[in-house]
Amino acid sequence: MWVESPQTLVEMRGIVKRFPGVLANDSASFTLLRGEVHALLGENGAGKTTLMNILYGLYRPDAGQIYVKGRLVQIRSPRDAISLGIGMVHQQFRLIPTHTVAENIIVGSREIGFTLRYDAINEELSKLIKFYGWSIRPDSRVWQLSAGEKQQVELLKALYRKADILILDEPTSVLTPQETTVLFQTLRRMASQGLGVVLISHKLDEVMGVSDRVTVMRRGRTVATKPTKETNPEELAYLMIGRQIGVVEPRKTTLSPHPILETHGLKVLDDKGLLAVKGLSIKLHGGEILGVAGVSGNGQQELMEALVGLRRVEEGKILIGGIDVTNKPPSAFIDAGVAYIPPETLKYTASGMTVAENLILKSYRRSKFSHRFLINWRNVYEEAERLVKTFNIVAPSLKTRAGNLSGGNIQRLVLARELALQDDIKIVIAAYPTKGLDVASTEFIQRKLAETRDRGAGVLLVSEDLEELAMLSDRLIVMYKGGIVGELSRAEFDLETVGLMMTGVKRAEATA
Amino acid sequence: MLGTAVKIRVERRLELPRRTSAAISGLLILLSFVVASAVFELLGVNSVRTLSTIVSVFLSPTSLLQAVIRGMPIGLAALGLSLAFRMNFWNIGAEGQLYMGMFAATGVVLLHAYYGAIPEQLLFTTMILASFVSGGLYCTLPGYLKAKLGVNEILPTLMLNYVAILFVDFLVYGPWRDPKGFSFPLSITFPDYARMDGFLGNASYLGLTMALVVAAIVYVLMNWTTIGFEMRVVGQNVDAAKYGGINLLRTTLIGSFLAGGLAGVGGLIIVSGLIGRLRPRASPGYGYTAIIVAFLAGLNPWLIVPASIFFGGLLVAGEAIQAALNLPVAAVQVFQAIIFIMIIVAEFFKRYRVTIRR
Repeated sequence: MWVESPQTLVEMRGIVKRFPGVLANDSASFTLLRGEVHALLGENGAGKTTLMNILYGLYRPDAGQIYVKGRLVQIRSPRDAISLGIGMVHQQFRLIPTHTVAENIIVGSREIGFTLRYDAINEELSKLIKFYGWSIRPDSRVWQLSAGEKQQVELLKALYRKADILILDEPTSVLTPQETTVLFQTLRRMASQGLGVVLISHKLDEVMGVSDRVTVMRRGRTVATKPTKETNPEELAYLMIGRQIGVVEPRKTTLSPHPILETHGLKVLDDKGLLAVKGLSIKLHGGEILGVAGVSGNGQQELMEALVGLRRVEEGKILIGGIDVTNKPPSAFIDAGVAYIPPETLKYTASGMTVAENLILKSYRRSKFSHRFLINWRNVYEEAERLVKTFNIVAPSLKTRAGNLSGGNIQRLVLARELALQDDIKIVIAAYPTKGLDVASTEFIQRKLAETRDRGAGVLLVSEDLEELAMLSDRLIVMYKGGIVGELSRAEFDLETVGLMMTGVKRAEATA
Repeated sequence: MLGTAVKIRVERRLELPRRTSAAISGLLILLSFVVASAVFELLGVNSVRTLSTIVSVFLSPTSLLQAVIRGMPIGLAALGLSLAFRMNFWNIGAEGQLYMGMFAATGVVLLHAYYGAIPEQLLFTTMILASFVSGGLYCTLPGYLKAKLGVNEILPTLMLNYVAILFVDFLVYGPWRDPKGFSFPLSITFPDYARMDGFLGNASYLGLTMALVVAAIVYVLMNWTTIGFEMRVVGQNVDAAKYGGINLLRTTLIGSFLAGGLAGVGGLIIVSGLIGRLRPRASPGYGYTAIIVAFLAGLNPWLIVPASIFFGGLLVAGEAIQAALNLPVAAVQVFQAIIFIMIIVAEFFKRYRVTIRR
């Protein structure tokens, strides 16, 4: 039923993509028109990037059709995608730092032939750069450029290859606010030139600000496509999160009389040396789950790393059970009973070492597993055997390399390491613990967190998944730009209010 | 495109059974013999005679003992490197650490001979300790720079080699020159009780025993102790190590100290087991050969011992070829180089499975 229309650049129909344990795309559909900026909105793990990676030829769909400019196509590789006029800018830039801008742009280009005519290339690039009002030069070395400028190089690469379908995956996550403004101007300009731009994002304000139409994805499905003018942030948040709010499990244990974790005026820098956590004070009691809502990149990562000793505290204090542990080494936090479920579990996995070895990564110093200097492998394997069973870790054997496990199983492995091996954990810092997992794994992990809370530990749950936060948290704080916008008790949970507060709106205004 | 489409698929191996690994290594060593033969033929040399000279070194007891003692400095340095490499510490400085070991061992002998310090019975033990500490500290410096300041270890370890070699040159041309040595740049000859031949009759026996003991220690250290576990985690993923509460500085310092220390003891074997005195350029690159040996053995301490004997044998063979066939030493070095290239090729095949389909 395809209607020939020069206005439609891309149509994806009924796209299905399955990964082990996860249905990433569940008959998703998507249309991109000429001259529009089309936002693809959804939570982490909703399947936005997967859908666009399929369009760019990085994955093959398990089912579904893709039409590009009216023609049914099979996109087997990025090379196919490029020849169809599709360009993609990934979250991580794929540039060679020691090469110049021009060299980076012609890498892999097919038309250039055997000899390089830099004059012609530079001239064309300069024309494009001038048109978009950028300030990069074709002969600058890439390592000298800022993140925003590197992104411009990536865009330039696509434009130079005459792409008219441009996909940007979370482009603002690496940019400063000023750079973001410049980027959005560029995107508008591209649209006015007749290009179709796909903007993958989970930030409502961005979507409202720059897009013409928006498609919302949730759990692999495309739930709605609307012109941006005819919708509002509340409706989009509602669509993004879904109607159903999970069953509320109230707290069973009583709160510990004194907070087990306190921070006073905590200030922490991010990797670039900018202030990411701006004087944060929180109190966490034993027996509660304190949810931290917020769009990622608002200081949560830096806060968590400070709370487990992996990041320096510039100012302020961290107290555990009333004892000052500010800027102590990570081992001091481990010994104090802090467990950390990190956002990128693979980053903290020794992937070349075995499942059993990874399970004891934090507890190998305990008397159960080592005596003086010798490791007691018999106890290690016995314990590992038990953990693999209770946490349903699917692994060929305990001696399998951890890197060969699937994402969901690595997540379980980390969870087992953090929650079960140290029976005296007092504090759990959990970051997006169910991100990208299927329903069964998600439920399992949520149950484990609640169990830990019921045993008397305090849980700090950082998530973007409001549904999950609403279901698990006994109390909720909302973070925005390194500070706390407001706090809500369980009785006061309201997804719309929280959603608005995540964009920086104060609570009084949000409820008004 | 070819008329008949031949598809070559390269896939990452998930698991590598020991047998496959051994088969790949063996096959490629065999292949290196073939390639080497071709090279020898190109040089106008009878390749069969050359190779049979090389092989015969390993068949006669006398030359085999020679191979063992020549291999032991390499072996000890390689055992140290196996620790360092598993910690992801790219120590290219075993050569310099060997020289620092020679320096310390000789220093102890001179203290004894000139000033009567250290009783005879304790002399050899003191030499072992001194060479270990000296080589160890020499390697700890780049280790400290890496752990504390994030300086890549490859250049410092490599450059410190030249420092150590020239330092030993300075000593034997200067203050440590034998006063009765007709101004040759040589130290005094070591007394019998400072020489490895003095024990068990032949230096090879003691050398081999030392290497086997050290191999056992390294094996236990890496697989059964917490510090070995920490070193392996650091080698795998520094972020994971920090997250696991591992003290990076402490682990790196201990690891680099042990690695350098073992090379230092290798240096002791050179002066005490092979030469019997200190002279300039006493190591013809044992510290670099040790890198090859460590990789040939897949960083497995038990395999390092035979692998180092193999390379010791090649050195002996080099001399035999020179004498018997009037070939340059370079011929044997070419042979060594071919073996090394094959090891790298073998690494590729161990990591990836290659299938050809029509």
